[in-house]
Amino acid sequence: MEDYFDYTAKLFDQSAIMGKPEALKGIRVLDFSHVIFGPTAARILGDYGAEVIKLELPHYGDLWRPATYWGKYWKHSNPIWHGVTKNKYFITVNLRLQKSKDLIYRMAEKADVVIENFAPGTAEAWGLGYSQMSKINPKIIFLSCSTYGQYGPMRYFPGWDLLAQAASGVLSLNGYPGTDKFFKLPDYLGDFVPGNFGALAIIMALYYRNKTGNGQYIDIAQTEAMMRMLYHFTFYSLTGRELGRVGNTDPAMIAAAIYKTKDERFVALACGTTSQFHGLLKAMGKEELAREERFIDYRESLKPENNEYLRRLVTEWLKTKTAEEVVAIGRDYGFPAAEVTDDYQICHDSWRRERGSVILFRDDMYGEIALAGPSAQLSLTPSRIKWIARPLGYHNRYVLKKFLGMSEEEIVDLERKKVIGTFDDRPGLKPPVYYNLDNDPIYNYGKEVGK
Amino acid sequence: MTTETKEAIYTRYGRPSELARALAQIMDPEGKPEVLEDVLVLDASYANFAGIIAASFFAEFGAEVVKIEPPTGDPARHMTPEGEEVGEVGIPFIVEGRNKRYMTLDLINSPTDRETFKKLARRAAIVIETFPAGKMDSWGIGYRQLKEENPGLIYIAITPYGQYTKKARDFSQMPDSDITAQAGSGLPANMGDIPEAGEPYNWPLKAGLWAAWYISGLSAALGGAIALVHRQNTGEGQMIDVASMDAYANMVTIPPAIGFTWEKARPRIGVLDFILYPYGHWHCKDGMVAIAAPRDHDFRALLKILDLWEIEDDWRHSSDRIPDILEQATHLHKIIQEKTVNFNADELVAKALNYSKKSARSKWRGGGVPIVMRVMTPVTALANKQWHIRKAFQEVEDPALGKKFILNTSFVKMSGSPPRIKWVATEIGKDNDYIRQKYLAEK
Repeated sequence: MEDYFDYTAKLFDQSAIMGKPEALKGIRVLDFSHVIFGPTAARILGDYGAEVIKLELPHYGDLWRPATYWGKYWKHSNPIWHGVTKNKYFITVNLRLQKSKDLIYRMAEKADVVIENFAPGTAEAWGLGYSQMSKINPKIIFLSCSTYGQYGPMRYFPGWDLLAQAASGVLSLNGYPGTDKFFKLPDYLGDFVPGNFGALAIIMALYYRNKTGNGQYIDIAQTEAMMRMLYHFTFYSLTGRELGRVGNTDPAMIAAAIYKTKDERFVALACGTTSQFHGLLKAMGKEELAREERFIDYRESLKPENNEYLRRLVTEWLKTKTAEEVVAIGRDYGFPAAEVTDDYQICHDSWRRERGSVILFRDDMYGEIALAGPSAQLSLTPSRIKWIARPLGYHNRYVLKKFLGMSEEEIVDLERKKVIGTFDDRPGLKPPVYYNLDNDPIYNYGKEVGK
Repeated sequence: MTTETKEAIYTRYGRPSELARALAQIMDPEGKPEVLEDVLVLDASYANFAGIIAASFFAEFGAEVVKIEPPTGDPARHMTPEGEEVGEVGIPFIVEGRNKRYMTLDLINSPTDRETFKKLARRAAIVIETFPAGKMDSWGIGYRQLKEENPGLIYIAITPYGQYTKKARDFSQMPDSDITAQAGSGLPANMGDIPEAGEPYNWPLKAGLWAAWYISGLSAALGGAIALVHRQNTGEGQMIDVASMDAYANMVTIPPAIGFTWEKARPRIGVLDFILYPYGHWHCKDGMVAIAAPRDHDFRALLKILDLWEIEDDWRHSSDRIPDILEQATHLHKIIQEKTVNFNADELVAKALNYSKKSARSKWRGGGVPIVMRVMTPVTALANKQWHIRKAFQEVEDPALGKKFILNTSFVKMSGSPPRIKWVATEIGKDNDYIRQKYLAEK
C-alpha cells in the first residue's frame, strides 16, 4: 500500500485547490456587518465559495478599515483587514435614501443569507430586520450578531469583543493568582471565535433549509459564545469553588506550564495521561517518582501541591535544555511540548507555508502578502483565497450590473443621486497610490478597459 | 450597592417589549426539529478534548454521537482541574457529555474491535479521531480504507501538526494538549506584562481557559459542517485535517499579517491594546470595569463621565492615545485609573448608558458611545439575569453520577432548528447494546 504521508500529500495538494469544487457555490450572502464579529462569519462562507456582498456607507465605510496596529498602514490599506474580509464584493449604499433600501430589498430577493451586527433593534428600525427581510424572501437565513443577544434585559447594551470577555468571565481568568493584574485575550479573540461560531450556525441552517426549504432567524451573542468555552461554571456548580487565575499553568494537566529554557526561550509542556507523565519522568531520569504514593494515580498528581512540586522539577530540568531539545525529547518520550511561537515565526515557518496554514498570496491590486490559511483543511472542498480587501465601493458597478442586471446608465444615475458612492481620500478606504482604477476591469462594470 | 439598584441598571433599558417576548418564545427549542437527526457521528478521539468538543457541537444539533473508547475509558475523562472528579469522571468531561452515547471498543489493542468499528463506520456520516497521523490507517481503519465502503464519509483528524507535510511526518508521534497548542499557535506570545514588570510576569502568558482546544474543536466542527453540506448536495465525503498548532493564529488571522508586513513580532504590552485606546479594564471601588471608548467622540464622552475634561486637549486624537509610545499610553492609563476607583462598577455602567442614550438623541453630543461593563467572574456571570432569561445555563442531572449541576448551554439561539441539551451522560459502555442493535444487528 502507498505510504500514508505520500497519500495525504496528494489528497491535500495545495497546488490543486483552485480546481476543486466549492461547497457553498451559489449561496449569496448580504453582509451588513462591520468591524470583526459579523464580517468573520461572512468571510468564512466566502472562503468556501459563497458570494458575499459586503455593504458599507459611502465615503465612510467600515469602522475597521482605518484601524490598524499602531497606526501603521501597508500600501494605504490596513494589513490585518485583508485577513478579516477577503473574497467579498465591496459595495456601498447610502441608507438614508429610500432608493438605497429598494436596492437592498431587490438584492434580498435573490439572497440566501443576511448577516448584521448593529446594536440590537437597529436593523429592524431601519427596515432591514428579519421581520422585513423574511417578508421579501421567506427562505432567508438571517444572522444577528450582538454582544448580549437580541432579547433579555441587557439587549440594548452596546459592546465589542472586550465587553464580551468581561461579561463572560473570560477576562477574570487570565493572569497570575495573588496579583492585581488581569489580561484580556489578545487579537480580538472575543470577535473571531464568535464569528466562527456564527458561520457554524449559518451552515447548520443551510443544511436544514436544503432538507425542508425553511429559512430561520439566528441570534448569536458573543458573550454566550465565549461562555461556551468555559468549564468553570460546572466546576463551581459541582465543587462550590472558584478556580480563578492559574498563571501560566494548566491545572487539569500534569506539570503543565510555560517554562524558560537554557537558551532563554519559552516552551510549553504538559502531560495529559499517565503514560505521557511516565515519559516525562523517564526523560528527566526521575522514574522512581512514579512509584511514590502521591504520583501513582493521575488524580493525586493533579493535586495542587503535588503538581507544583513537579513543575518545580521541570523548571530546574529545563534550565539545562534548549527549546529545540525539549520539543524533540517530548516527541521521543511521548509527552506534548511546543515552543512559544510569535508573529514572525508563524509567518515564516516553512512547514506552515507548505501546509497552507500561512499562504503567500499574490493579489492583483496589492501584490504579495502573507495571510492566515483555514483552521481546518478540507480535502475535497477546500477554503481558498480569490482576492483580498478592496477600496470602498470598488464592486458597486460590477455587482449592480452582474447581479441585478442594471444598465450602465442606471448605475451612473445612482452615483449622481448619491445612492451609491466610493471612498474619501483616507488610508484604509482608498486604493494604493500606484493603482489606477481607470484601468481596472472589475471597477469598470466588469468589462475590458484599455491600458 | 444594594441588589435593587443593581437590578435597576441591568433591566432599565430592557423593559420586556412585545418583540423581546416574542423572540424569547420563537427561540425556545421545545418541540422543534433537529438539524442533524439523520447523522451518525463516531468520536474515536483519545486523550484529546478538541475531538470531544467537536463531537459536542454535532450532538447539540441533534446528531447521534457515539463516543468510542477502550473499556478502561478515554484518559481525557481524568483531565480535570486539580484532580476534581465526580465518581470517576473529571469535570470537563462531564461538561462535554451533552447528548452523548458511549460504546467500548479497544481500537488500540483489539483487531476484532477494529472490525466492529469498520462496520459501524459504514453507517456513519462523520468519524472523528485524534491518534497520531497514520495510526488509524495502519490499523486498517483510516480514511483511505473506510471510504472504500462509505464514499460519503467525512473523516475528521485532529493532531498537532496535521496529516501531510514533512513536519507532520517527523512529529506524528507528538501528543496534543491545550497549553502546547496555545503556545505553538501564537497566543501566549501576544499576552503578558510589559518587560519592566519583571519575571515571570513579563513572560508569555497562557489563556486561563482551554482556548486552543475549544478553537480546534470549533474548527473541526465548522469544517465538518461545510463537508456535510457538500455531502448533502453531491453524496461525496472527504477528509478534514485540523492541526492544533494552527488553532489561534488561523482563527484570529492577525499574526501572519503582522509577521509579514512588519518583519518582526509584536512585543508584549501588558493590559493595553495595540490598536484602540481606551480599550481595557480598570479597577473601581467594588471590583473592575472594562471600558471601550476608542473613537474620538467616544473618548470625549468618557472624559465627561469621569470628570476629566481638562485633559481633553492632550489626548484629542486616537493617534495620541495608541500605545506606539508605551510610556505615554501607560501615563493616560493611570490618569483614568485615578478616576475609576471613585466609582462603583454599576455606577459607571449606568453613567455610560445614560450618556449614550442622550447622545443618540442630541446632535450636540457628537454621537459618543462610551461602553462600560463590570468585569465578571464565571460565578458573577452565572447570577446575571440576562443569562437566566436567555437560558444560557441549564440545570441537568447525570443519573449515573447521581448529581445535579449547572451546564452552559449551546452557543447560539435559532428559531427553526435550534441546538439543545437533551441529557448529559458519562458512563463507560452505557450504550453498547443500543448501538449494536441499532447499527450492527444482522438483517
